[in-house]
Amino acid sequence: MAAAPKFAKTHEWIRLDDDGLATVGISAYAVEALTDLVFMQLPEVGRAVKAGESIGEIESVKAVSDVYAPVSGEVVAVNAALPGNLETLGQDPYGAGWLVKLRPADTAELGSLLDQTAYDTLVKSQPH
Amino acid sequence: MPDASATSGLIAWWDAPAPGPENMAADEVLAAEAVALDRPLVRIYGWSEPTVSLGGFQRLADARASTVIAGLPLVRRPSGGGAIVHGTDLTYAVAVPRSHAWGGDPQVLYDVFHESLAAELRERGVAALRHPGRDRAAGDDERLLCFDRRARGDLVVQTAAGGTDGDKIMGSAQRRLRGAVLQHGSLLLQPPSISTATHQGLLRLHPQAAAWDLRQLVVAWLTRVAAEAGGPLDAHAAAYAPARARLIADAAARFREADWLGRR
Repeated sequence: MAAAPKFAKTHEWIRLDDDGLATVGISAYAVEALTDLVFMQLPEVGRAVKAGESIGEIESVKAVSDVYAPVSGEVVAVNAALPGNLETLGQDPYGAGWLVKLRPADTAELGSLLDQTAYDTLVKSQPH
Repeated sequence: MPDASATSGLIAWWDAPAPGPENMAADEVLAAEAVALDRPLVRIYGWSEPTVSLGGFQRLADARASTVIAGLPLVRRPSGGGAIVHGTDLTYAVAVPRSHAWGGDPQVLYDVFHESLAAELRERGVAALRHPGRDRAAGDDERLLCFDRRARGDLVVQTAAGGTDGDKIMGSAQRRLRGAVLQHGSLLLQPPSISTATHQGLLRLHPQAAAWDLRQLVVAWLTRVAAEAGGPLDAHAAAYAPARARLIADAAARFREADWLGRR
């Protein structure tokens, strides 16, 4: 059974799967805050990324935002169907709305991320 | 340099007209400085020649295919939104730390700048108001030009019948960076230098505005914005860009690259 997701302060989630890969997406809070998504750019498969590095960009009607890698690793898959179906992000942000799968360089990096409770506290403290 | 002892309000500079890449670079430097100072910073500026700024992910091919903007130099903004034909507008950039009350919900920053200007214009006799936004089915995000779109909060002039779908005079868009939100906006003053009769501009819609001192209007507008942040406006007499020329020159190189302009 896959582990519970962890969260970055920049609102990405990451979940370590049974196959040792990690699935990455953006939180329901972030999707709702962006509103009316119009375009998304995902990284190339095979790209090596460092924790905190931009791995994609998402555009809403008024804003362009970066998506950051929660941990270091290699991009082994991207959700190629997502840019053409951005409504999926709002409908199922922790399932079908996943963005990329990473092969983590060091799973210990997940330890520095927020658990659900800590992330919920962060969201409550965000300026509205 | 900014008054670092003040902790609220707004710091603003007014720059001389510059080419597109330098303007985009100066705004990137402004965003980094807003993070360093932990303060909202504003830059008001013009363009050294009529220039089209494209939104962060607009297709270059669409701009190249448009006969309406043919022949004008292009620069790509880091912020989203539609293309703007600069030269007869007043452009602003505001950079706000993500930790600031305006750094969360994107609509908050959009609304504070637009409503503050609307309030100032209404006091001067212009029936300015924020547009309620159109349904996505209207296809606004497929339109090339910002001033052909209507998003929630866009500044428009009320129609003669009292409707909200009048002429748009200001639109803004954001780039949400790790440490700051950079918001670009444009107040259309005159019809732009393109063959479209649909964009009137403030001075054509309200001819009395031709007698206004533009700098006084901007100061009055930004004073209202600063008050929303709970402090005064610290408007600098000196320009922003000259004191940061080297940083801006370095950053401008990226905005000149074909890869950046053609990223989509």
